[in-house]
Amino acid sequence: MRNIQIILNAILSKNIFEYILVDRELNVISASDGVEKYLDGSPKEGEDILDYLPELVGSEDEIKTIFVKKYCLYSLESVHKNEYYVNITVEYCDQNTAIVLLHNITAVTLSKQKLLQYSNESTLLYNTLQKVVDNQNALLFVSNQDEEIEFANQKFIDYFNAKDLNELKEKKLKLYRYFDDKLKGYSELYQYVNTDEDHITIGDDTFIVQATHIEATHKLFTLSKVTDIYKKKKSLEVEIQIDPLTQTYRKSYFDAEVKKELGYDKKFAIVVLDIDDFKVVNDTYGHPIGDIVLKEFTTLIKQNLRRDDLVARWGGEEFLILLKNMDDDNAIAKVEELRKIIDEYTFSHTKHITASFGLTCAHSSDDVNSLLHRADEALYKAKTDGKNRVRLKKA
Amino acid sequence: MIRKKILLLGDFAVGKTSLIKRYVDNTFDDSYLTTIGVKISKKLLILNDIECELLIWDVEGATPTKSIPHSYFKGASGAIFVCDVNRSETIESLNEHINTFLMLNQDAKHVIAYNKSDLLNTQQKEALHLPGNAFLTSAKSDSNVEALFTTLVKEMLL
Repeated sequence: MRNIQIILNAILSKNIFEYILVDRELNVISASDGVEKYLDGSPKEGEDILDYLPELVGSEDEIKTIFVKKYCLYSLESVHKNEYYVNITVEYCDQNTAIVLLHNITAVTLSKQKLLQYSNESTLLYNTLQKVVDNQNALLFVSNQDEEIEFANQKFIDYFNAKDLNELKEKKLKLYRYFDDKLKGYSELYQYVNTDEDHITIGDDTFIVQATHIEATHKLFTLSKVTDIYKKKKSLEVEIQIDPLTQTYRKSYFDAEVKKELGYDKKFAIVVLDIDDFKVVNDTYGHPIGDIVLKEFTTLIKQNLRRDDLVARWGGEEFLILLKNMDDDNAIAKVEELRKIIDEYTFSHTKHITASFGLTCAHSSDDVNSLLHRADEALYKAKTDGKNRVRLKKA
Repeated sequence: MIRKKILLLGDFAVGKTSLIKRYVDNTFDDSYLTTIGVKISKKLLILNDIECELLIWDVEGATPTKSIPHSYFKGASGAIFVCDVNRSETIESLNEHINTFLMLNQDAKHVIAYNKSDLLNTQQKEALHLPGNAFLTSAKSDSNVEALFTTLVKEMLL
């Protein structure tokens, strides 16, 4: 016992450790002078250690096994006692004595607490911000210097059927390819979005896309779903391009489509057609019947064209057809077929009407006006040659 | 007099320390100071003529990177599992805390505190479906705190 006391006193002189010696019943034998600062009072010989260290309540049996096993150590870390933090350990001394050591770890624990406080507050803030971005209606993602998606909100992760951000990263989604096959990364997408295109179509959905620099290397992309609005807009755009009587396109729409076709550098033909002697129909049956004939006539034409072809009303009883991917031979065969169908069709009021067709195929030097001019000349020829016929004017 | 050890367990910043302060000292402080390690508070109570010193362990909250040391769980007669009713992730992690605790203390009793209920409006409170042993608590407005502890102690003394 004396030796132990001497060793302990040497250790305790550094003011790091205090001790209480207890017997087999966990009653106090003696205690170091400095132990009082951790406890509510000064433990006296014969008192129950649990009155001073309630931290040991519930573990009495485990602590008493120290006297049987002779090596067992009971330990409890970072216990807040008064203004201090201590590690409490109970260790075997001899067959009747165990030592309860109180290791002062206040300084290091307070430092740890500061770090933990900072970390917890940061986590709380991060979680709040995460919820904010997750609850945005838009799909958000951030790209990094390696041209990869580094962060995405939950809506983005869900949209691309990933379980979480890690799974999304593993997918190595090359979203920029949805915009343009030629784009090589998100930096190019950033330029693209900010200079040119502002919407993207993924499957059936349309998104407005915005891109912002958030750091020199990181860019934030925001995809706002506008499918319904976009569809409505497209539908309205088409609607205002439709002639209400015949449900064919207006000439302005036809011109725009021809212009697009000229840009693709593909073969195509345009046709100008006119119902022969339509004035007689109006004069004989009246304009309301004339309108019904026009409807029947355009329905018949549309039914006998491919889905990609386009019919427009130029005015009165004169119409335009755009036949895509056709050269002179294909086009003349198709238009001749149309002429025959009309000639053989029994209309509800007039029974029989015919139409004349002027046809021309596009040439690399053509523009909309030159094409229309040529087709119109061909129509004139069809009329002067006796009507109900097809005439081709080559470039 | 008997002594009983109970623990307050749950994620960090759910209000474990505040619940204890409200129950033991009837005080409340809005500022957040994270608990590190463990701190024990005592509360003397008499239930059914039984004098009981309750040793309430305020245990450091679990974080995504640090779980609670199992050495704290030894010898506990009961536990109060605390979540922040406004943070879904703290509710989701309740089961993990409960399972870990009960694995080491099979005979222990437990109750659950859905804390910080003062931040909910009436409609939000009504929409909650709490398990039978759970209480909607608020240390700030002193709501259900006494009932939370008393229910657990009664269970333990049965």
